Amino acid sequence: MATEPGGRHRVAIASAASAILMLAVPLAVMDEYYLHVLIASLFFAYMASAWNIVCGYTGQLSLGHSALSGIGGYVSTLLLINAGVSPWVGMLIGAVCAMGVGVLVGWPCFRLRGPYFALTTIAFAEILRIWTENTEEIFGIELRGAQGLSVPLKGHAPALFQFDGKVPYYFIILAMLAAVMALAWWMERSRMGFYLKAIRADQDGAEALGVNSTRYLLSAMAVSSFLTALGGSFYAQYFRYINPERNMGLDFSIELALMGIVGGQGTVVGPILGAFLLTPAGEITRATLGGKFPGLHLVIYGLVLILAMLFLPKGLIQPLRRLFGRRSAASGATAQPTQA
Amino acid sequence: MPLLQVANISKSFGGNQAVKSLSFTLETGEILGLIGPNGAGKTTAFNMIAGYFPPDTGEVRFKGENIAGLRAWNISHRKIARTFQLSKPFGDLTVLENVMVGGFHHQESRVAARRKAEEVLAFVGMEGQASVEANNLTVVDRKRLELARCLATDPELLLLDEVVAGATPSEAIAMMEMIRRIRDMGITIIMVEHVMRVVMGLSHRVLVLHHGETIAVGDPQTVSRDPVVLKAYLGARYAHA
Repeated sequence: MATEPGGRHRVAIASAASAILMLAVPLAVMDEYYLHVLIASLFFAYMASAWNIVCGYTGQLSLGHSALSGIGGYVSTLLLINAGVSPWVGMLIGAVCAMGVGVLVGWPCFRLRGPYFALTTIAFAEILRIWTENTEEIFGIELRGAQGLSVPLKGHAPALFQFDGKVPYYFIILAMLAAVMALAWWMERSRMGFYLKAIRADQDGAEALGVNSTRYLLSAMAVSSFLTALGGSFYAQYFRYINPERNMGLDFSIELALMGIVGGQGTVVGPILGAFLLTPAGEITRATLGGKFPGLHLVIYGLVLILAMLFLPKGLIQPLRRLFGRRSAASGATAQPTQA
Repeated sequence: MPLLQVANISKSFGGNQAVKSLSFTLETGEILGLIGPNGAGKTTAFNMIAGYFPPDTGEVRFKGENIAGLRAWNISHRKIARTFQLSKPFGDLTVLENVMVGGFHHQESRVAARRKAEEVLAFVGMEGQASVEANNLTVVDRKRLELARCLATDPELLLLDEVVAGATPSEAIAMMEMIRRIRDMGITIIMVEHVMRVVMGLSHRVLVLHHGETIAVGDPQTVSRDPVVLKAYLGARYAHA
Protein backbone atom coordinates (compact mmCIF):
# COMPACT_ATOMS: atom_id res chain seq x y z
CA MET A 1 0.00 0.00 0.00
CA ALA A 2 3.10 2.17 -0.22
CA THR A 3 1.81 3.91 -3.34
CA GLU A 4 -1.37 4.97 -1.62
CA PRO A 5 -0.73 8.54 -0.49
CA GLY A 6 0.89 9.33 -3.85
CA GLY A 7 -1.97 7.59 -5.61
CA ARG A 8 -4.54 9.61 -3.73
CA HIS A 9 -2.70 12.79 -4.60
CA ARG A 10 -2.71 11.91 -8.27
CA VAL A 11 -6.40 10.99 -8.17
CA ALA A 12 -7.22 14.36 -6.62
CA ILE A 13 -5.17 16.25 -9.21
CA ALA A 14 -6.70 14.26 -12.06
CA SER A 15 -10.25 14.87 -10.76
CA ALA A 16 -9.68 18.60 -10.29
CA ALA A 17 -8.07 18.93 -13.72
CA SER A 18 -10.89 17.09 -15.48
CA ALA A 19 -13.50 19.14 -13.60
CA ILE A 20 -11.90 22.43 -14.70
CA LEU A 21 -11.52 21.12 -18.21
CA MET A 22 -15.16 20.08 -18.40
CA LEU A 23 -16.32 23.47 -17.09
CA ALA A 24 -14.19 25.32 -19.64
CA VAL A 25 -15.20 23.23 -22.64
CA PRO A 26 -18.16 25.36 -23.82
CA LEU A 27 -15.82 28.36 -24.03
CA ALA A 28 -13.60 26.54 -26.46
CA VAL A 29 -16.03 24.38 -28.41
CA MET A 30 -18.09 26.71 -30.56
CA ASP A 31 -19.19 24.14 -33.08
CA GLU A 32 -22.72 23.01 -32.27
CA TYR A 33 -22.08 19.52 -33.56
CA TYR A 34 -19.08 18.85 -31.35
CA LEU A 35 -20.92 20.30 -28.41
CA HIS A 36 -23.76 17.90 -29.19
CA VAL A 37 -21.35 14.94 -29.22
CA LEU A 38 -20.05 16.09 -25.84
CA ILE A 39 -23.55 16.41 -24.43
CA ALA A 40 -24.41 12.95 -25.75
CA SER A 41 -21.24 11.55 -24.18
CA LEU A 42 -22.05 13.15 -20.84
CA PHE A 43 -25.62 11.88 -21.11
CA PHE A 44 -24.47 8.32 -21.74
CA ALA A 45 -21.87 8.62 -18.99
CA TYR A 46 -24.66 9.64 -16.64
CA MET A 47 -26.97 6.84 -17.76
CA ALA A 48 -24.25 4.18 -17.63
CA SER A 49 -23.37 5.38 -14.12
CA ALA A 50 -27.00 5.05 -13.07
CA TRP A 51 -27.08 1.54 -14.57
CA ASN A 52 -23.84 0.75 -12.74
CA ILE A 53 -25.42 1.48 -9.32
CA VAL A 54 -27.48 -1.68 -9.53
CA CYS A 55 -25.69 -3.75 -12.16
CA GLY A 56 -22.04 -2.91 -11.62
CA TYR A 57 -22.03 -3.11 -7.86
CA THR A 58 -24.33 -6.11 -7.43
CA GLY A 59 -23.44 -8.14 -10.51
CA GLN A 60 -27.06 -8.30 -11.66
CA LEU A 61 -27.43 -7.62 -15.38
CA SER A 62 -30.24 -5.33 -16.46
CA LEU A 63 -30.95 -5.11 -20.17
CA GLY A 64 -34.13 -3.16 -19.63
CA HIS A 65 -32.96 0.16 -18.26
CA SER A 66 -34.27 1.89 -21.37
CA ALA A 67 -37.79 1.25 -20.07
CA LEU A 68 -36.99 3.26 -16.94
CA SER A 69 -35.54 6.04 -19.04
CA GLY A 70 -38.63 5.95 -21.24
CA ILE A 71 -40.92 6.18 -18.24
CA GLY A 72 -39.04 9.28 -17.08
CA GLY A 73 -39.18 10.88 -20.52
CA TYR A 74 -42.82 10.11 -21.18
CA VAL A 75 -44.07 11.10 -17.74
CA SER A 76 -42.32 14.48 -17.78
CA THR A 77 -43.33 15.19 -21.37
CA LEU A 78 -46.96 14.13 -20.90
CA LEU A 79 -47.23 16.23 -17.75
CA LEU A 80 -45.93 19.25 -19.66
CA ILE A 81 -48.24 18.72 -22.65
CA ASN A 82 -51.39 17.83 -20.75
CA ALA A 83 -51.10 19.61 -17.44
CA GLY A 84 -48.54 22.30 -18.08
CA VAL A 85 -46.31 20.90 -15.32
CA SER A 86 -42.71 22.06 -15.66
CA PRO A 87 -40.36 19.22 -16.64
CA TRP A 88 -38.23 20.19 -13.63
CA VAL A 89 -41.07 18.87 -11.48
CA GLY A 90 -42.22 16.29 -14.01
CA MET A 91 -38.80 14.64 -14.08
CA LEU A 92 -39.03 13.99 -10.34
CA ILE A 93 -42.53 12.56 -10.70
CA GLY A 94 -41.32 10.37 -13.57
CA ALA A 95 -38.36 9.25 -11.47
CA VAL A 96 -40.62 8.22 -8.62
CA CYS A 97 -42.83 6.26 -11.05
CA ALA A 98 -39.77 4.52 -12.52
CA MET A 99 -38.54 3.73 -9.04
CA GLY A 100 -41.83 1.99 -8.27
CA VAL A 101 -41.69 0.06 -11.52
CA GLY A 102 -38.04 -0.91 -10.99
CA VAL A 103 -38.77 -2.26 -7.54
CA LEU A 104 -41.80 -4.21 -8.82
CA VAL A 105 -39.71 -5.81 -11.56
CA GLY A 106 -36.83 -6.55 -9.20
CA TRP A 107 -38.96 -7.91 -6.37
CA PRO A 108 -39.68 -11.41 -7.71
CA CYS A 109 -36.32 -11.73 -9.50
CA PHE A 110 -34.02 -10.89 -6.62
CA ARG A 111 -35.42 -13.82 -4.65
CA LEU A 112 -34.09 -16.14 -7.32
CA ARG A 113 -30.52 -16.90 -8.31
CA GLY A 114 -29.61 -17.08 -11.96
CA PRO A 115 -30.38 -15.13 -15.12
CA TYR A 116 -33.98 -14.35 -14.21
CA PHE A 117 -33.41 -10.68 -13.58
CA ALA A 118 -31.70 -10.16 -16.94
CA LEU A 119 -34.46 -12.03 -18.77
CA THR A 120 -37.24 -10.24 -16.94
CA THR A 121 -35.78 -6.80 -17.58
CA ILE A 122 -35.54 -7.52 -21.33
CA ALA A 123 -39.09 -8.86 -21.43
CA PHE A 124 -40.49 -5.99 -19.41
CA ALA A 125 -38.78 -3.29 -21.47
CA GLU A 126 -39.82 -4.85 -24.76
CA ILE A 127 -43.42 -5.26 -23.65
CA LEU A 128 -43.52 -1.63 -22.57
CA ARG A 129 -41.98 -0.48 -25.86
CA ILE A 130 -44.37 -2.52 -28.00
CA TRP A 131 -47.34 -1.40 -25.97
CA THR A 132 -46.34 2.26 -26.27
CA GLU A 133 -45.70 1.92 -30.01
CA ASN A 134 -49.20 0.60 -30.50
CA THR A 135 -51.12 2.86 -28.18
CA GLU A 136 -52.44 6.08 -29.65
CA GLU A 137 -54.32 7.15 -26.60
CA ILE A 138 -55.04 5.92 -23.08
CA PHE A 139 -57.50 7.42 -20.57
CA GLY A 140 -57.85 10.36 -22.90
CA ILE A 141 -54.08 11.04 -22.85
CA GLU A 142 -52.49 11.08 -26.28
CA LEU A 143 -49.42 8.82 -26.52
CA ARG A 144 -49.27 8.93 -30.32
CA GLY A 145 -47.82 5.42 -30.57
CA ALA A 146 -44.73 4.91 -32.70
CA GLN A 147 -44.84 8.53 -33.89
CA GLY A 148 -43.69 9.70 -30.51
CA LEU A 149 -44.29 12.98 -28.73
CA SER A 150 -42.87 16.40 -29.47
CA VAL A 151 -42.20 18.71 -26.59
CA PRO A 152 -44.09 21.96 -27.28
CA LEU A 153 -41.68 24.80 -27.90
CA LYS A 154 -41.83 27.64 -25.41
CA GLY A 155 -38.82 29.63 -26.57
CA HIS A 156 -36.22 30.52 -23.97
CA ALA A 157 -38.00 29.31 -20.83
CA PRO A 158 -35.58 28.08 -18.15
CA ALA A 159 -38.47 27.35 -15.78
CA LEU A 160 -39.80 24.88 -18.36
CA PHE A 161 -36.41 23.27 -19.05
CA GLN A 162 -36.06 25.05 -22.41
CA PHE A 163 -33.05 27.11 -23.35
CA ASP A 164 -31.54 28.85 -26.35
CA GLY A 165 -28.56 26.92 -27.62
CA LYS A 166 -26.90 23.85 -26.24
CA VAL A 167 -24.63 25.30 -23.57
CA PRO A 168 -27.19 25.27 -20.71
CA TYR A 169 -27.98 21.63 -21.48
CA TYR A 170 -24.29 20.90 -21.36
CA PHE A 171 -24.03 22.30 -17.84
CA ILE A 172 -27.20 20.55 -16.67
CA ILE A 173 -26.03 17.12 -17.74
CA LEU A 174 -22.54 17.84 -16.44
CA ALA A 175 -24.03 18.65 -13.03
CA MET A 176 -26.18 15.52 -13.16
CA LEU A 177 -23.12 13.42 -13.96
CA ALA A 178 -21.14 15.02 -11.13
CA ALA A 179 -24.01 14.27 -8.75
CA VAL A 180 -24.30 10.62 -9.76
CA MET A 181 -20.52 10.21 -9.48
CA ALA A 182 -20.55 11.73 -6.01
CA LEU A 183 -23.38 9.41 -5.04
CA ALA A 184 -21.55 6.33 -6.36
CA TRP A 185 -18.35 7.43 -4.63
CA TRP A 186 -20.15 7.87 -1.34
CA MET A 187 -22.08 4.62 -1.73
CA GLU A 188 -18.95 2.64 -2.50
CA ARG A 189 -17.58 3.61 0.89
CA SER A 190 -20.78 3.11 2.84
CA ARG A 191 -22.18 -0.01 4.38
CA MET A 192 -24.52 -0.34 1.42
CA GLY A 193 -21.59 -0.40 -1.02
CA PHE A 194 -19.77 -3.07 0.96
CA TYR A 195 -22.92 -5.14 1.17
CA LEU A 196 -23.64 -4.85 -2.55
CA LYS A 197 -20.12 -5.94 -3.43
CA ALA A 198 -20.38 -8.82 -0.97
CA ILE A 199 -23.65 -9.92 -2.62
CA ARG A 200 -21.98 -9.70 -6.01
CA ALA A 201 -19.09 -11.88 -4.88
CA ASP A 202 -21.11 -14.48 -2.98
CA GLN A 203 -24.72 -14.08 -2.02
CA ASP A 204 -24.77 -16.97 0.48
CA GLY A 205 -21.62 -15.71 2.11
CA ALA A 206 -23.10 -12.22 2.40
CA GLU A 207 -26.34 -13.49 3.91
CA ALA A 208 -24.39 -15.47 6.50
CA LEU A 209 -23.00 -12.12 7.67
CA GLY A 210 -26.46 -10.66 8.16
CA VAL A 211 -26.93 -9.05 4.76
CA ASN A 212 -30.58 -9.06 3.73
CA SER A 213 -29.68 -9.42 0.07
CA THR A 214 -33.18 -8.90 -1.33
CA ARG A 215 -33.51 -5.63 0.53
CA TYR A 216 -30.14 -4.29 -0.58
CA LEU A 217 -30.65 -5.36 -4.20
CA LEU A 218 -34.04 -3.64 -4.23
CA SER A 219 -32.59 -0.48 -2.70
CA ALA A 220 -29.91 -0.37 -5.38
CA MET A 221 -32.54 -0.99 -8.05
CA ALA A 222 -34.70 1.81 -6.65
CA VAL A 223 -31.84 4.33 -6.70
CA SER A 224 -30.73 3.25 -10.15
CA SER A 225 -34.29 3.42 -11.55
CA PHE A 226 -34.80 6.90 -10.11
CA LEU A 227 -31.57 8.22 -11.62
CA THR A 228 -32.17 6.54 -14.97
CA ALA A 229 -35.60 8.14 -15.28
CA LEU A 230 -34.14 11.59 -14.49
CA GLY A 231 -31.75 11.01 -17.38
CA GLY A 232 -34.64 9.95 -19.59
CA SER A 233 -36.40 13.24 -18.86
CA PHE A 234 -33.28 15.20 -19.67
CA TYR A 235 -33.04 13.38 -22.99
CA ALA A 236 -36.64 14.15 -23.89
CA GLN A 237 -36.25 17.85 -23.02
CA TYR A 238 -32.91 18.16 -24.79
CA PHE A 239 -34.09 16.60 -28.05
CA ARG A 240 -37.62 17.98 -27.56
CA TYR A 241 -38.85 14.73 -28.99
CA ILE A 242 -39.39 11.27 -27.60
CA ASN A 243 -40.45 8.00 -29.19
CA PRO A 244 -40.63 4.39 -28.00
CA GLU A 245 -37.95 3.08 -30.36
CA ARG A 246 -35.24 5.52 -29.30
CA ASN A 247 -36.17 5.95 -25.65
CA MET A 248 -37.33 2.47 -24.65
CA GLY A 249 -35.64 0.22 -27.21
CA LEU A 250 -33.40 -2.70 -26.48
CA ASP A 251 -30.52 -1.04 -28.37
CA PHE A 252 -30.43 1.73 -25.81
CA SER A 253 -30.38 -0.72 -22.90
CA ILE A 254 -27.57 -2.69 -24.50
CA GLU A 255 -25.57 0.47 -25.11
CA LEU A 256 -25.76 1.40 -21.42
CA ALA A 257 -24.75 -2.08 -20.31
CA LEU A 258 -21.91 -2.14 -22.84
CA MET A 259 -20.51 1.18 -21.66
CA GLY A 260 -20.59 0.01 -18.07
CA ILE A 261 -18.94 -3.31 -18.88
CA VAL A 262 -16.30 -1.94 -21.27
CA GLY A 263 -15.41 0.91 -18.92
CA GLY A 264 -15.34 -1.11 -15.73
CA GLN A 265 -18.32 -2.29 -13.71
CA GLY A 266 -18.66 -1.48 -10.06
CA THR A 267 -16.34 1.53 -10.17
CA VAL A 268 -17.12 5.24 -10.12
CA VAL A 269 -15.11 6.16 -13.21
CA GLY A 270 -15.52 3.00 -15.31
CA PRO A 271 -18.91 3.76 -16.89
CA ILE A 272 -17.73 7.27 -17.75
CA LEU A 273 -14.69 5.93 -19.57
CA GLY A 274 -16.92 3.51 -21.46
CA ALA A 275 -19.35 6.25 -22.43
CA PHE A 276 -16.62 8.64 -23.56
CA LEU A 277 -15.08 5.93 -25.73
CA LEU A 278 -18.23 4.47 -27.27
CA THR A 279 -20.49 7.53 -27.70
CA PRO A 280 -18.12 9.58 -29.88
CA ALA A 281 -17.12 6.44 -31.77
CA GLY A 282 -20.78 5.71 -32.46
CA GLU A 283 -21.64 9.34 -33.32
CA ILE A 284 -18.70 9.83 -35.65
CA THR A 285 -19.23 6.59 -37.56
CA ARG A 286 -22.93 7.35 -37.86
CA ALA A 287 -22.25 10.85 -39.11
CA THR A 288 -19.46 10.01 -41.55
CA LEU A 289 -20.29 6.50 -42.73
CA GLY A 290 -23.89 6.12 -41.60
CA GLY A 291 -25.27 6.58 -45.11
CA LYS A 292 -23.02 3.97 -46.65
CA PHE A 293 -22.91 1.42 -43.86
CA PRO A 294 -25.96 1.66 -41.66
CA GLY A 295 -25.45 -0.07 -38.31
CA LEU A 296 -21.67 0.18 -38.53
CA HIS A 297 -21.54 1.69 -35.05
CA LEU A 298 -23.04 -1.54 -33.72
CA VAL A 299 -20.25 -3.52 -35.38
CA ILE A 300 -17.74 -1.20 -33.72
CA TYR A 301 -19.45 -1.70 -30.34
CA GLY A 302 -19.18 -5.45 -30.83
CA LEU A 303 -15.50 -5.24 -31.70
CA VAL A 304 -14.75 -3.00 -28.73
CA LEU A 305 -16.58 -5.42 -26.45
CA ILE A 306 -14.61 -8.41 -27.76
CA LEU A 307 -11.31 -6.56 -27.40
CA ALA A 308 -12.21 -5.38 -23.92
CA MET A 309 -13.13 -8.88 -22.79
CA LEU A 310 -9.93 -10.32 -24.22
CA PHE A 311 -7.47 -7.76 -22.95
CA LEU A 312 -9.15 -5.81 -20.16
CA PRO A 313 -11.79 -8.05 -18.58
CA LYS A 314 -12.21 -5.62 -15.70
CA GLY A 315 -12.66 -2.72 -18.09
CA LEU A 316 -10.72 0.31 -19.26
CA ILE A 317 -10.40 1.29 -15.64
CA GLN A 318 -7.87 -1.52 -15.13
CA PRO A 319 -4.74 0.18 -16.58
CA LEU A 320 -5.76 3.47 -14.96
CA ARG A 321 -5.96 1.82 -11.56
CA ARG A 322 -2.45 0.55 -11.98
CA LEU A 323 -1.36 4.07 -12.85
CA PHE A 324 -2.99 5.61 -9.81
CA GLY A 325 -2.33 2.70 -7.47
CA ARG A 326 -5.27 0.53 -6.45
CA ARG A 327 -7.27 2.34 -3.85
CA SER A 328 -9.41 0.12 -1.76
CA ALA A 329 -12.77 1.37 -0.57
CA ALA A 330 -11.69 0.39 2.93
CA SER A 331 -9.25 3.27 3.10
CA GLY A 332 -11.07 6.53 2.81
CA ALA A 333 -9.57 9.98 2.67
CA THR A 334 -9.56 10.17 6.44
CA ALA A 335 -8.05 6.76 7.14
CA GLN A 336 -4.36 6.22 7.52
CA PRO A 337 -2.66 3.89 5.06
CA THR A 338 -1.95 0.56 6.72
CA GLN A 339 1.63 -0.34 7.33
CA ALA A 340 1.84 -3.98 6.41
CA MET B 1 -31.97 -22.19 29.98
CA PRO B 2 -29.66 -23.81 27.43
CA LEU B 3 -28.30 -21.49 24.72
CA LEU B 4 -29.56 -23.73 21.94
CA GLN B 5 -32.25 -26.39 22.01
CA VAL B 6 -32.72 -28.43 18.87
CA ALA B 7 -35.86 -30.53 19.04
CA ASN B 8 -36.72 -33.21 16.48
CA ILE B 9 -35.56 -31.45 13.35
CA SER B 10 -35.76 -33.49 10.16
CA LYS B 11 -35.04 -32.87 6.54
CA SER B 12 -35.53 -34.99 3.48
CA PHE B 13 -34.53 -34.24 -0.08
CA GLY B 14 -36.89 -36.15 -2.33
CA GLY B 15 -36.87 -39.67 -0.97
CA ASN B 16 -33.59 -39.24 0.86
CA GLN B 17 -34.01 -38.64 4.59
CA ALA B 18 -30.89 -36.53 5.24
CA VAL B 19 -31.57 -35.84 8.91
CA LYS B 20 -34.04 -37.79 11.04
CA SER B 21 -35.45 -36.13 14.18
CA LEU B 22 -32.22 -34.68 15.49
CA SER B 23 -32.36 -33.33 19.04
CA PHE B 24 -29.70 -31.88 21.29
CA THR B 25 -29.10 -29.03 23.66
CA LEU B 26 -26.10 -26.80 24.00
CA GLU B 27 -24.98 -24.83 27.04
CA THR B 28 -23.25 -21.47 26.83
CA GLY B 29 -19.49 -21.83 26.52
CA GLU B 30 -19.62 -25.41 25.30
CA ILE B 31 -17.95 -26.91 22.23
CA LEU B 32 -20.06 -29.59 20.59
CA GLY B 33 -18.49 -31.80 17.93
CA LEU B 34 -20.75 -33.09 15.20
CA ILE B 35 -19.23 -36.12 13.52
CA GLY B 36 -20.24 -38.95 11.27
CA PRO B 37 -19.22 -40.60 8.02
CA ASN B 38 -19.71 -38.79 4.71
CA GLY B 39 -23.37 -38.24 3.96
CA ALA B 40 -24.39 -38.60 7.59
CA GLY B 41 -26.31 -35.31 7.50
CA LYS B 42 -23.90 -33.06 9.39
CA THR B 43 -23.93 -30.18 6.95
CA THR B 44 -27.69 -30.54 6.48
CA ALA B 45 -28.14 -30.17 10.23
CA PHE B 46 -25.93 -27.09 10.10
CA ASN B 47 -27.86 -25.57 7.25
CA MET B 48 -31.13 -25.98 9.10
CA ILE B 49 -29.78 -24.25 12.20
CA ALA B 50 -28.16 -21.46 10.15
CA GLY B 51 -31.28 -20.82 8.08
CA TYR B 52 -30.09 -22.01 4.67
CA PHE B 53 -33.22 -24.08 4.45
CA PRO B 54 -36.02 -24.64 6.94
CA PRO B 55 -36.38 -28.00 8.71
CA ASP B 56 -39.35 -30.10 7.58
CA THR B 57 -40.31 -30.67 11.21
CA GLY B 58 -39.18 -29.64 14.66
CA GLU B 59 -37.89 -26.55 16.38
CA VAL B 60 -34.59 -24.77 16.80
CA ARG B 61 -34.72 -22.65 19.95
CA PHE B 62 -31.97 -20.09 20.44
CA LYS B 63 -32.19 -18.42 23.84
CA GLY B 64 -35.76 -19.64 24.02
CA GLU B 65 -36.88 -18.24 20.67
CA ASN B 66 -37.81 -20.60 17.85
CA ILE B 67 -35.62 -19.60 14.92
CA ALA B 68 -36.45 -22.55 12.65
CA GLY B 69 -37.38 -21.30 9.21
CA LEU B 70 -35.86 -17.82 9.60
CA ARG B 71 -33.67 -16.64 6.72
CA ALA B 72 -29.89 -16.80 7.03
CA TRP B 73 -29.38 -13.05 7.39
CA ASN B 74 -32.03 -12.92 10.05
CA ILE B 75 -30.37 -15.70 12.00
CA SER B 76 -27.10 -13.82 11.74
CA HIS B 77 -28.81 -10.88 13.44
CA ARG B 78 -29.62 -13.19 16.33
CA LYS B 79 -25.86 -13.57 16.82
CA ILE B 80 -25.33 -16.94 15.21
CA ALA B 81 -22.47 -17.08 12.70
CA ARG B 82 -21.35 -19.87 10.42
CA THR B 83 -18.49 -20.84 8.17
CA PHE B 84 -18.95 -22.85 4.99
CA GLN B 85 -17.42 -26.21 4.18
CA LEU B 86 -16.30 -24.68 0.87
CA SER B 87 -15.22 -21.19 1.87
CA LYS B 88 -17.04 -18.33 0.26
CA PRO B 89 -14.60 -15.43 0.20
CA PHE B 90 -15.65 -12.19 -1.50
CA GLY B 91 -12.93 -12.80 -4.06
CA ASP B 92 -12.45 -9.35 -5.54
CA LEU B 93 -12.40 -7.61 -2.17
CA THR B 94 -9.33 -7.40 0.00
CA VAL B 95 -9.02 -9.38 3.22
CA LEU B 96 -9.73 -6.24 5.22
CA GLU B 97 -12.79 -5.39 3.11
CA ASN B 98 -14.08 -8.97 3.51
CA VAL B 99 -13.94 -8.70 7.27
CA MET B 100 -15.42 -5.19 7.19
CA VAL B 101 -18.59 -6.66 5.64
CA GLY B 102 -18.94 -8.55 8.91
CA GLY B 103 -17.86 -5.46 10.84
CA PHE B 104 -20.78 -3.47 9.46
CA HIS B 105 -23.12 -5.89 11.22
CA HIS B 106 -23.81 -3.69 14.22
CA GLN B 107 -22.82 -0.29 12.92
CA GLU B 108 -23.07 1.84 9.86
CA SER B 109 -19.88 3.81 10.30
CA ARG B 110 -17.06 2.77 8.01
CA VAL B 111 -14.43 3.85 10.49
CA ALA B 112 -15.94 1.69 13.23
CA ALA B 113 -16.37 -1.28 10.88
CA ARG B 114 -12.77 -0.91 9.84
CA ARG B 115 -11.57 -0.75 13.42
CA LYS B 116 -13.54 -3.89 14.25
CA ALA B 117 -12.12 -5.67 11.19
CA GLU B 118 -8.54 -4.75 12.07
CA GLU B 119 -9.07 -5.98 15.60
CA VAL B 120 -10.39 -9.34 14.37
CA LEU B 121 -7.64 -9.69 11.77
CA ALA B 122 -5.06 -9.22 14.49
CA PHE B 123 -6.84 -11.90 16.53
CA VAL B 124 -6.66 -14.47 13.73
CA GLY B 125 -3.14 -13.39 12.79
CA MET B 126 -3.96 -12.05 9.34
CA GLU B 127 -3.16 -8.37 9.86
CA GLY B 128 -0.21 -8.71 7.50
CA GLN B 129 -2.52 -9.82 4.69
CA ALA B 130 -5.09 -7.04 5.12
CA SER B 131 -4.63 -5.61 1.64
CA VAL B 132 -4.38 -8.94 -0.20
CA GLU B 133 -7.25 -9.76 -2.54
CA ALA B 134 -9.17 -12.70 -1.09
CA ASN B 135 -8.87 -14.57 -4.41
CA ASN B 136 -5.15 -14.88 -3.83
CA LEU B 137 -5.38 -16.64 -0.47
CA THR B 138 -4.56 -20.30 0.16
CA VAL B 139 -7.34 -22.70 1.17
CA VAL B 140 -6.34 -22.52 4.82
CA ASP B 141 -6.14 -18.72 4.81
CA ARG B 142 -9.60 -18.59 3.23
CA LYS B 143 -10.90 -20.59 6.18
CA ARG B 144 -9.19 -18.23 8.58
CA LEU B 145 -10.67 -15.29 6.69
CA GLU B 146 -14.13 -16.78 6.94
CA LEU B 147 -13.63 -17.26 10.65
CA ALA B 148 -12.54 -13.64 10.94
CA ARG B 149 -15.62 -12.45 9.06
CA CYS B 150 -17.80 -14.44 11.48
CA LEU B 151 -16.04 -13.02 14.51
CA ALA B 152 -16.52 -9.48 13.21
CA THR B 153 -20.29 -9.96 13.61
CA ASP B 154 -19.80 -10.57 17.36
CA PRO B 155 -21.54 -13.96 17.47
CA GLU B 156 -22.66 -15.81 20.57
CA LEU B 157 -22.89 -19.11 18.73
CA LEU B 158 -20.42 -20.10 16.04
CA LEU B 159 -21.02 -22.96 13.61
CA LEU B 160 -17.76 -24.23 12.13
CA ASP B 161 -18.00 -26.50 9.10
CA GLU B 162 -14.71 -28.37 8.62
CA VAL B 163 -12.34 -25.51 9.35
CA VAL B 164 -9.22 -27.69 9.41
CA ALA B 165 -9.96 -29.58 6.17
CA GLY B 166 -6.99 -29.21 3.87
CA ALA B 167 -4.68 -27.93 6.59
CA THR B 168 -1.23 -29.37 7.29
CA PRO B 169 -0.77 -30.86 10.79
CA SER B 170 0.89 -27.72 12.09
CA GLU B 171 -1.78 -25.51 10.58
CA ALA B 172 -4.41 -27.75 12.17
CA ILE B 173 -2.76 -27.29 15.56
CA ALA B 174 -2.74 -23.52 15.10
CA MET B 175 -6.43 -23.61 14.15
CA MET B 176 -7.24 -25.71 17.23
CA GLU B 177 -5.44 -23.17 19.35
CA MET B 178 -7.49 -20.41 17.76
CA ILE B 179 -10.77 -22.26 18.37
CA ARG B 180 -9.82 -22.58 22.04
CA ARG B 181 -9.16 -18.86 22.24
CA ILE B 182 -12.54 -18.19 20.61
CA ARG B 183 -14.21 -20.39 23.21
CA ASP B 184 -12.33 -18.51 25.93
CA MET B 185 -13.97 -15.32 24.66
CA GLY B 186 -17.26 -16.88 25.74
CA ILE B 187 -18.43 -17.94 22.28
CA THR B 188 -20.28 -21.24 22.11
CA ILE B 189 -19.24 -23.49 19.24
CA ILE B 190 -20.67 -26.34 17.20
CA MET B 191 -18.10 -27.90 14.90
CA VAL B 192 -18.44 -30.38 12.10
CA GLU B 193 -15.09 -32.03 11.62
CA HIS B 194 -13.59 -35.09 10.01
CA VAL B 195 -10.20 -34.88 11.66
CA MET B 196 -10.78 -36.91 14.82
CA ARG B 197 -7.77 -35.56 16.65
CA VAL B 198 -9.27 -32.08 16.37
CA VAL B 199 -12.80 -33.05 17.39
CA MET B 200 -11.69 -35.24 20.25
CA GLY B 201 -9.21 -32.65 21.47
CA LEU B 202 -11.60 -29.73 21.51
CA SER B 203 -15.14 -30.95 22.10
CA HIS B 204 -16.78 -31.17 25.48
CA ARG B 205 -19.36 -33.43 23.93
CA VAL B 206 -19.58 -35.25 20.64
CA LEU B 207 -22.72 -36.12 18.71
CA VAL B 208 -22.45 -38.85 16.10
CA LEU B 209 -24.75 -38.91 13.09
CA HIS B 210 -25.11 -41.86 10.75
CA HIS B 211 -27.55 -41.92 7.83
CA GLY B 212 -29.29 -38.94 9.39
CA GLU B 213 -29.83 -40.59 12.75
CA THR B 214 -28.16 -39.79 16.04
CA ILE B 215 -26.32 -42.92 17.10
CA ALA B 216 -24.36 -41.59 20.06
CA VAL B 217 -23.94 -38.49 22.23
CA GLY B 218 -21.46 -38.06 25.03
CA ASP B 219 -17.98 -37.04 26.02
CA PRO B 220 -15.28 -37.80 23.46
CA GLN B 221 -13.75 -40.76 25.34
CA THR B 222 -17.04 -42.59 25.80
CA VAL B 223 -18.18 -41.98 22.25
CA SER B 224 -14.91 -43.15 20.75
CA ARG B 225 -15.31 -46.50 22.51
CA ASP B 226 -18.99 -46.91 21.68
CA PRO B 227 -19.41 -50.11 19.63
CA VAL B 228 -22.25 -48.59 17.55
CA VAL B 229 -19.99 -45.70 16.56
CA LEU B 230 -17.09 -47.99 15.71
CA LYS B 231 -19.41 -50.07 13.61
CA ALA B 232 -20.67 -47.03 11.71
CA TYR B 233 -17.15 -45.81 11.01
CA LEU B 234 -15.28 -49.04 10.49
CA GLY B 235 -17.89 -51.71 9.68
CA ALA B 236 -19.38 -54.49 11.79
CA ARG B 237 -16.23 -56.66 11.84
CA TYR B 238 -14.24 -54.15 13.86
CA ALA B 239 -16.94 -53.24 16.33
CA HIS B 240 -15.72 -55.62 19.02
CA ALA B 241 -12.04 -55.33 18.30
